Amino acid sequence: MHELTWGLPVIAYFFLAGMGAGAVTVSGSVLLRKGGFGASRFSVARCGALIGPIPVMLGTFLIVFELGQPLRAGNLFHLINLSPMSIGSWFLNIFIILSVLYAMTFMLPGSSPGDRFSQVRRGLAWVLVPLGIGVAVYTGIMLGAMPARPFWNSPILAALFTLSALSSGVASIILAGVVFRRKSKDVAIRSDYENSSYLLITSDALLIAGELLVIFLFLLFGHLTIGDIKYAMLAILPGGQMALLFWGLVVGVGLLIPLIIELFQVMPKLLHNREFKTIVSLEVAVPLAILIGGFTLRYTIVVAGQITAPTTL
Amino acid sequence: MSNNSKPVTNRRAFVQKLVGGVAATTVASSAVALSSAETPPEGKKAKLKSYAMLIDTRRCIGCHTCSVSCKSEFDVPLGVTRSWVEYTEKGTYPNVSRHFLPRLCNQCRHPQCVDVCPTGATYKRPQDGIVVVDSGQCIGCKYCIQACPYDARFLNPETKVAEKCDFCIHRVSKGLVPSCVNSCIGEARIFGDISDPNSEISRLLTTNPTTVLRPGKGTEPQVYYIGADHSDEHENNRGWYDVRITTHRKEKGRR
Repeated sequence: MHELTWGLPVIAYFFLAGMGAGAVTVSGSVLLRKGGFGASRFSVARCGALIGPIPVMLGTFLIVFELGQPLRAGNLFHLINLSPMSIGSWFLNIFIILSVLYAMTFMLPGSSPGDRFSQVRRGLAWVLVPLGIGVAVYTGIMLGAMPARPFWNSPILAALFTLSALSSGVASIILAGVVFRRKSKDVAIRSDYENSSYLLITSDALLIAGELLVIFLFLLFGHLTIGDIKYAMLAILPGGQMALLFWGLVVGVGLLIPLIIELFQVMPKLLHNREFKTIVSLEVAVPLAILIGGFTLRYTIVVAGQITAPTTL
Repeated sequence: MSNNSKPVTNRRAFVQKLVGGVAATTVASSAVALSSAETPPEGKKAKLKSYAMLIDTRRCIGCHTCSVSCKSEFDVPLGVTRSWVEYTEKGTYPNVSRHFLPRLCNQCRHPQCVDVCPTGATYKRPQDGIVVVDSGQCIGCKYCIQACPYDARFLNPETKVAEKCDFCIHRVSKGLVPSCVNSCIGEARIFGDISDPNSEISRLLTTNPTTVLRPGKGTEPQVYYIGADHSDEHENNRGWYDVRITTHRKEKGRR
């Protein structure tokens, strides 16, 4: 019987913080980028900026009350040491403050690309892009830092969590776009919307492909080594306790199916420069599948790490 | 160990440099806590000790007296253990054997729990090498519980902070031996300062074949064993003989 030292609140936090940090990071990069998104740059950035901080704060709420002593959470900020959790807490703390400020610059009445906050907004975006990556990457480093947990003890886990966070971020921006941006009857806005959807879906496909590569390397490393890590990896390989969740929901629903659908959507324009049309049902279904996969990824990794252990005493 | 008069580990030094003011107060407050726990000899520079334990499993009869005395020494709540005894049964009749393995915190030279602690609540005491938890600083994040390769830590269900064996510093600082050593009816446990070549533990360590648990994890445990059976249930996968481990920990297998 294995008890989970880190259970659902931690898993949910990893997912929510990753998604929110990813959304803000993507928002910041879209805002700072000249060209590409054109006129829709601001509204895409606004989507990411407005939805990003919410899951991060929700996740942080969960993680604070997962502590044995929630009232002592402030102890984390008495010092910085080299513990990934210490550095991560500082990142998270600063990220929450700045991302809320960043979101506020988009919420003020009459906020538009050239308003009086545009310099502040750009400045915050410059800081939030690396900070968001930091928040996404530290969760993976935190798990990877422990030889006592062979399943997690891999530097590539941090890369996997980062790519998954960015991909979930893009997915949440696409979802928010369907809700808030799609309705417009204006032809120019519609065409901007199509263009930004195309760019978002293309980037997401790239991120998912990267994730698949990292998962492949993660498994390959487990296969090529011997000892604790090889045995631990059995948990997600076919026949393992977590195999069905991992291959079905993480790889299948969360990565392969969205990647194939997204490629089918963007390939005609990417390769043959044909017209790109968004399909509402797919715009909702694909990001949802990605988010389900993102959550299940955290779930399988966090649980598999705790039901496996070193094999020799 | 070097003769640092100022007892600071690398991480503490780093911390002090990084956030001088606040960190200094934290260090100072923990230093006050330390000085009350142990009074260093006056005058001459305090000699740094390195406490260790040697467990001669050939003398262990698996009676759990150590576990019980530890429980009562610290009023450890039900369901969690600072010290426990595992039984290892191997083989089938007539080729069968049973071994006892008393377990506790290994007071590692390179403690992973200290590396991962985000608040500095857990640290290795420079004066005697004991890894301790400052229960006033611990936030109960359970990172150290994950990071310990020996599963020696737990979240105290009553105080909600991380807890583990601390070699009974309250007894040791008064010149006594830890409670489990004191109560062991087989005298299987030998406690002492291995930096002192004349101590009993040093003599036994150098004249006996000894092992430590999970040496591959690089933790360099300071709890040594004579005649320990390192068999693990993992060996059952080979199908050659049967290994059964009883940890005597509530709902807990060996990690």
